[in-house]
Amino acid sequence: MSAPGSLTASDNAASSDAARFDAVVVGAGPAGSAAALVLARRGHRVCLLERGPYPGSKNMYGGVVYPRILDELLPGWWEEAPVQRWVTRRATMMLTADQALTVDFRSEAWGQPPYNGATALRPDFDAWLAAKAVDAGALLVTSTTATGLLRDGPGGTVGGVTTDRPGGDLRARVVVACDGVNSFLAKEAGLYGKPDPANYTLGAKEVLALPAATIEDRFALGPGQGADFEIIGCTGDIAGGGFLYTNRDSLAVGVVLHLPALAAAGVRPEQLIAGLKAHPAVAPLVAGGELVEYSAHLIPEGGYDMMPTLTGPGMLVAGDAAAMCLAAGIWLEGVNFAIGSGMAAGESAAEALERGDVSEGGLSGYERRLRDGFVLQDHRRLRHAPHLLLSDRVQRRYPQLACDIVEDLFTVTNPEPKPGIGRLVRRRVASSGVRLRHLAADSWRALRTFG
Amino acid sequence: MTVPAAPGPAPAAAPGPVLACRQWADRRADVDPLTGTVTSDPRSAAASPADDAALECALRMATAWGTHVVAVTVGPPGSEAVLREALAAGAERAVRVDAPEPGDAASVAAAIAGVAGMVGARAVLCGDMGWGRGSGAVPALVAAVLDARQALGLVDLATDPEQPGVVTGWRRLDGGRRQHLRAAAPFVASVEGGVALLRRAPLAGVLGAGQATIEVVAPAGTCPVPSWTPSSTGPGRPRTHVVDGPDPDDPVRRRVELLTGLTAERPARRVVRAEPVDAAHQLIAALADWGEWS
Repeated sequence: MSAPGSLTASDNAASSDAARFDAVVVGAGPAGSAAALVLARRGHRVCLLERGPYPGSKNMYGGVVYPRILDELLPGWWEEAPVQRWVTRRATMMLTADQALTVDFRSEAWGQPPYNGATALRPDFDAWLAAKAVDAGALLVTSTTATGLLRDGPGGTVGGVTTDRPGGDLRARVVVACDGVNSFLAKEAGLYGKPDPANYTLGAKEVLALPAATIEDRFALGPGQGADFEIIGCTGDIAGGGFLYTNRDSLAVGVVLHLPALAAAGVRPEQLIAGLKAHPAVAPLVAGGELVEYSAHLIPEGGYDMMPTLTGPGMLVAGDAAAMCLAAGIWLEGVNFAIGSGMAAGESAAEALERGDVSEGGLSGYERRLRDGFVLQDHRRLRHAPHLLLSDRVQRRYPQLACDIVEDLFTVTNPEPKPGIGRLVRRRVASSGVRLRHLAADSWRALRTFG
Repeated sequence: MTVPAAPGPAPAAAPGPVLACRQWADRRADVDPLTGTVTSDPRSAAASPADDAALECALRMATAWGTHVVAVTVGPPGSEAVLREALAAGAERAVRVDAPEPGDAASVAAAIAGVAGMVGARAVLCGDMGWGRGSGAVPALVAAVLDARQALGLVDLATDPEQPGVVTGWRRLDGGRRQHLRAAAPFVASVEGGVALLRRAPLAGVLGAGQATIEVVAPAGTCPVPSWTPSSTGPGRPRTHVVDGPDPDDPVRRRVELLTGLTAERPARRVVRAEPVDAAHQLIAALADWGEWS
């Protein structure tokens, strides 16, 4: 007894064509939704597969998104993108046990179109971007996990994915794996080498609810403006860093911890977050915040050197699944790289489908696009940044040295006369145990990395 | 205690569809402890485990009876998500009663009863409670509107392919007791969440459900609800009874026996089979005999 003209589930079950697509995009995060959007706009039949009940539901993210990459894909995106606050203030803090040195910058231009970066809640942002793909014609299937690859094409070409549902084979001519940092699909396809824990960090964060007006008062922000604090020297003996971001009516405060060092230290991440929140420079900013969320997630911070092979026969890898997360100290970016790589994957897959060649060679346009654009250029240029930033000297000795020098500089010791700055710096460097040749070598490495 | 099916229409040989009711509500609604303001997010809205169990029971029932399942919800367009889940799992048809807010129990019951009449349902299955742990009155009100039997709060439900239109089940009573029920269509049943685990919908079902047409109908108004005036809205505080204690000169053992009633004679246990109205009268008479009813 069906309504006239209605399409019932059993009707579809009877049709094997229902589970046959031009492309299956696994993961409805920024990379997956961008890929699906591009493919759908090119007229291809796309299935966007998401394991959570809705896009963004599985995301743990406490950062800033830089969505200018959307200028071309979604002109005027800022008028509708669900952002929390436009970041107009960026600060880098160096902490010791009882000192803090902050480089603080703000720009009113970042609070106006086309904006620069924004804090966003990923359940909002990802759902918005996925809805664009659905509007363009992609079929979003939620609560369904891709469990493996179908390899039934010539030469082991990937021909779809298996899922955790009964009768769950999804057949497609191209699979775009955007299944996150632990990409089981890329690993199954043999695109990753042996995993090295040193390439990963663990991000752990708390979300603290505070009234919007309180946040604006504490961080000296106008309505709708946001702040982004990156912090080093707050993770004890564990290499890593901290962060503090302002959402509309909450703060995201947390730490990012080098995985092997965290395992060796035997310290729990929440202990480090508690320590960060108790620091005299941070405590007044987060005081009174009500804990509404605690979460943790792996981050592929190894950068360029840990990236997998990006293309296989019938398959592309994008976003975190391809380790496209830039952790370069002053630049901590991921969503823009995910969108950029997803767009490139979508365009390359569409081209390959239209040519009828989804072999590894047919999909090679993907890597070319990435190399010609910011995604691989930035990663390649900054490939040594993670190693430099996670070194012991950058993590602990330099923050202490910088704070001590600045403390000396601003401490008035009358009746003694003021020392010369050069003498003061030399004295502190000598007492810090940092050798000048190390300082020079690190400066040179920094210049080569960031210059 | 076994309650035989009340006299009624003979079980239909080919019953109509089974109607599975699904309430759409936020699983993680935030309640401000100071103001009581409820903030909900439609994205985390879903059917309750009890509604999922009801759907699974409906699907099994329909298979056993050789019929199909119609899923129904009352709510805004966003509530169609719970209907698509039902379609994916095996329901053949889905109807949404359009309402910006689900409304009170009477209006929801009237809406569901209207759909039950529209599709010719012989049985209506509901969860015994939603995420909001509301009054649980909807299934009983639906039964009242449809003039159907009711089997509410079931912890077990079974169908027999040899007897289409008939179900048996158990429901929880106070004091850890259970009541065995047997009901013939038309009936309304509500089940607890542990009765059955909703099957994992097949991929083909999910793909089809995403594009299936959901029928949208207007609300049917409201249904008559018995009115009453609450005698008290505060916590119950029974009056204290002055009870004469045992004679202090009695031995300790005797006093313990008197206080605990350990050796007191008890009336013989009686098993009574009676129609509901007669059973209620007999219960009242027994309570009066024991001095518990005046």
